[in-house]
Amino acid sequence: MRIVIAEDDPLLREGLALLLRAESLDVVGTAGTADGILDAIDVHKPDVAILDVRMPPTHTDEGIVAAVEARRRRPDLAVLVLSAYVEQSFATELLTGGVTGLGYLLKERVGRVEEFLDALRRVAAGGTAIDPEVVAQLFTRSRHDSRLERLSPRERDVLALMAEGLGNSAIAERLVVTDGAVHKHIRSIFAKLDLSPTDQVDRRVAAVLRYLEDVRRRA
Amino acid sequence: MSSQQYASDGAPKPRIRDIVVRSAGAALVALEKLAGGFGTAVLALAVLLLVTVTAVASLVGVGLLMAPSALRALHAVAERERDRLTRWGPELIGPGPAPTQLRPALADPTTRRELGWLATHGTLGLLLGLLGVLLPLVAVRDTAFPLLYPFAPENANSTSIGIGVAHTWLDALAVVPLGLAWIAIIVGLGPGMARLQARPGRRLLSAGPDADLSLRVAELTATRAAALDAHATELRRIERSLHDGTQNRIVNVTVLLGAARRMVARDPAGADELLERAQSAAEGALAELRSVSRSILPPVLDDRGLEGALAGLAADCPVPCRVDVETPARCAASVEATAYFIVAEALTNIAKHSHAQHATVTVRSHDGRLHLQIKDDGRGGADETGGSGLTGMRRRIAAHDGNLTLTSPPGGPTTLEVDLPCGS
Repeated sequence: MRIVIAEDDPLLREGLALLLRAESLDVVGTAGTADGILDAIDVHKPDVAILDVRMPPTHTDEGIVAAVEARRRRPDLAVLVLSAYVEQSFATELLTGGVTGLGYLLKERVGRVEEFLDALRRVAAGGTAIDPEVVAQLFTRSRHDSRLERLSPRERDVLALMAEGLGNSAIAERLVVTDGAVHKHIRSIFAKLDLSPTDQVDRRVAAVLRYLEDVRRRA
Repeated sequence: MSSQQYASDGAPKPRIRDIVVRSAGAALVALEKLAGGFGTAVLALAVLLLVTVTAVASLVGVGLLMAPSALRALHAVAERERDRLTRWGPELIGPGPAPTQLRPALADPTTRRELGWLATHGTLGLLLGLLGVLLPLVAVRDTAFPLLYPFAPENANSTSIGIGVAHTWLDALAVVPLGLAWIAIIVGLGPGMARLQARPGRRLLSAGPDADLSLRVAELTATRAAALDAHATELRRIERSLHDGTQNRIVNVTVLLGAARRMVARDPAGADELLERAQSAAEGALAELRSVSRSILPPVLDDRGLEGALAGLAADCPVPCRVDVETPARCAASVEATAYFIVAEALTNIAKHSHAQHATVTVRSHDGRLHLQIKDDGRGGADETGGSGLTGMRRRIAAHDGNLTLTSPPGGPTTLEVDLPCGS
């Protein structure tokens, strides 16, 4: 797996590279600015780009802008955004552009190396990795959504884990239930969210997107 | 005992000399007010005529074109009177800009009140003002008449009221009591006349109970917003140094710890090296945190004030440093903190780069601004693009809307001057 890292703090950039290299992952380039990382992506043709949200010059949303631009240039590029805190509008901006091969995690998750590598691999394979904190906020915001109110607490938990990007068996493991039970919950969620099996789109993605769109409409 | 002595003397009697001095002073002030009022009253009369002409001409249509300039003149003369009255007493707060278009002006309470004032001040006020100007003249003339008498033309009126002709010295001396009577009138009635002249202005030109003070409020709000803005910028600076500095350090600690944990089984030596790096990253985070919290409000500022805090900095500086602080009032805490931060940075730079023998720190405050000057006799050539210290200073100073000037020719001396609004 070829990886580029954009992080303006030199020590942290080095630390991240060190961690990934220790796991025998191939860090092919690093940069401290949005422009720098876009160049690195052009040159090194990585599979995954890990981007810090706040970078010079304004230290606001440079990483998000770079992520959107990078995916415009190379739609197949997996992007994992690391953020110092959950900023709903950034997450929504990023996710509504499509959730395949996309991750949005709080920076401190990197220290939980196993889970972080798991998320990284999932994103690189075209999956999704959304920070539980982001998902929790999405749910708080859309509590008054009538379709959401139709979900049982258990179904809501399952949807939250789906939104984080977990597969059925991973969800079963987290909730300590059987795969069958998870399958049943998901079917029920699809039904309550009016997602029919004949839909062409991936219903898992559609379910998550529906929430994101609700959130965005409210914002 | 002194208390008994006091009792035997009775209450201290008001001394006649004091009374005379006080009355004379009050009379002179009253005359000055009346004369000043005379000035605006003449203008008021002129504007009153203009307004009347405009009103009459409006009946045949032509005046409608003149209305805006007449209204502008009205507002201008009213504003002048507000300024004058403010100089002589409590501040007269105007209701803010008034309309200069005829239609809104007709419905505008401010304009109506100004017209009422104009009519009174242009007539009664003018009369009082005229008296205020003439009374001292006639008082002087009549009191001093015996001195003028030899030079007075034959058969000229000897009194200023136009009665009597002095033919002899005695006749001339008889005019003096009249002059003294004028003085008595000035002393007795002057202050009352001045008050009477000012009353319509004070009543009608201030913002009425029904006046819309929203503009005034908006103005004050803007000033306040600017102060809050400076604080918001300061908060943003702190938030940024926490997120982009301290937090990154701590994330780095967790990253290194995570990596070490993964490595501990397969490569204990490598893991130990990572732990070592994690520890120094944690120490870095602590140092960062300390500097952030110190930059918010150095504890020493609270304990010892700006002067004491700066003296402490100077004492810690390896280059001998003299501190001279003269600030009558304390500034806003965030401004003092910024001043402290600037001096700390400047002294660090001096110690590191200047090769100076002496440094001086001078702090002055006037007109609501705090001026800092940090000077050294080192080799000069300080470069703004060189270190991050100056950039940090500039950022903090800009947050407060202040200025920084650095003069540092090669060979020295180096002078850093900073000017900050005291704020709060």
